[in-house]
Amino acid sequence: MAKKPPAANTGRGRTDGNGINDGSGRFGAGNEEGAAWSIFGYLISGLIIWGGIGLGLDHWLHTHFIALIGLLLGAGSSLYLVWLRFVRR
Amino acid sequence: MHGTLNLVGYGLSAIGPAIATGMIFAAYISGVARQPEARSVLQPIAFLGFALAEALALFGLVLAFVLK
Amino acid sequence: MSQLVVAGGPGFVPPSTSDFDLPSIFGHSAYSTKPVFLVALSVILISVFFIAASRKAAVVPSKLQFSGEAIYGFVRNSIGEEIIGHEFMRFVPFLFTLFTFVITNNVFGIVPFLQFPAMSHVGFPYVLALFSFVIFHYVGIKKQGLGKYLKGIAFMPGVPKAVYILLTPIEIATFFLVRPLTLSLRLFANMFAGHLLLLVFITGGDYMLHDSHIFMKVLSPFSFAFGIGMSFFEFMVQCLQAYIITLLTALFIAGALADEH
Repeated sequence: MAKKPPAANTGRGRTDGNGINDGSGRFGAGNEEGAAWSIFGYLISGLIIWGGIGLGLDHWLHTHFIALIGLLLGAGSSLYLVWLRFVRR
Repeated sequence: MHGTLNLVGYGLSAIGPAIATGMIFAAYISGVARQPEARSVLQPIAFLGFALAEALALFGLVLAFVLK
Repeated sequence: MSQLVVAGGPGFVPPSTSDFDLPSIFGHSAYSTKPVFLVALSVILISVFFIAASRKAAVVPSKLQFSGEAIYGFVRNSIGEEIIGHEFMRFVPFLFTLFTFVITNNVFGIVPFLQFPAMSHVGFPYVLALFSFVIFHYVGIKKQGLGKYLKGIAFMPGVPKAVYILLTPIEIATFFLVRPLTLSLRLFANMFAGHLLLLVFITGGDYMLHDSHIFMKVLSPFSFAFGIGMSFFEFMVQCLQAYIITLLTALFIAGALADEH
């Protein structure tokens, strides 16, 4: 099915010139189209998990500041995860 | 009319990340179009920038619901 | 302007979520409402179309065969082969069914007399996302083994051990909660909001047409025209959302198939 000319230099996990995925993209992350969607998912789940834990602790301890800490922690750790998955070589 | 001003505030705060995301990908696309071999260098930078902008937008969304 | 509205008879009732609770057609059953019949109709239409398109396959295709092959080729090549890679043929039937089912039901939202996107009832996208969720996890477990697959999800290699406390909950939530949820809610929200938008313009135009004030009657065609324009915009959104749900399913399958390096 090799119809397309071979691409000059593809990023990692990209489909090669024959339209065959070389399979190096981990969990669909290496696909260029997939990266943006995966990043969105990671960020939202980081905020939900750690923000939710913070909110629960606030509810339990009758305080008002742990939710904010949890949200910052969630945002920070999901950004770190994005850096690990998509930026680090 | 019922509702909360939080969501209006979120709508306003989402303008910034929206423009940022657009600019990041515009710059990435034009960079790759001019110099296709620079793709592997530009791609991680573009996605990190996208993640930072997107994190701000999601932070606004969550705060709009959490803040009372 | 708002004072004119108040002056002109009873107030305008804006469309709301209750406009999506349609009455049942036969008796009082939740299983005989309009969306259920639309889904059944879509299945019949898709089957008839593709059976007719593939029945008399010829080297020189007829128009019907050509259009059927164009849709199939689009899903197979630019979604299946591009994203999944060499094992893509196994998943093409599912991806193709998903794409045609979603696009037909979405486009029903602007077809005259049908005019209701079944995907604006959140139950339908939930089931589609459940299918996709089960399939991509099954594929990953079968390919890599249960332990290795879960370990690949939960533990990012090359990170100090203490950081796993922060990262592992996020990874697990992403793969088992956020992915299926965003997959279904994206489709639902687009269809819901689009249908509500059309309702606002059409019912608003209708209200203004029946208003006693001549000024409102003059303005009413603009509302209808905008509603028609928005219908074309909706058509674009409906096709795009059908493409996106298929693309994301293919991406998830490709990710589950990809080996750890």
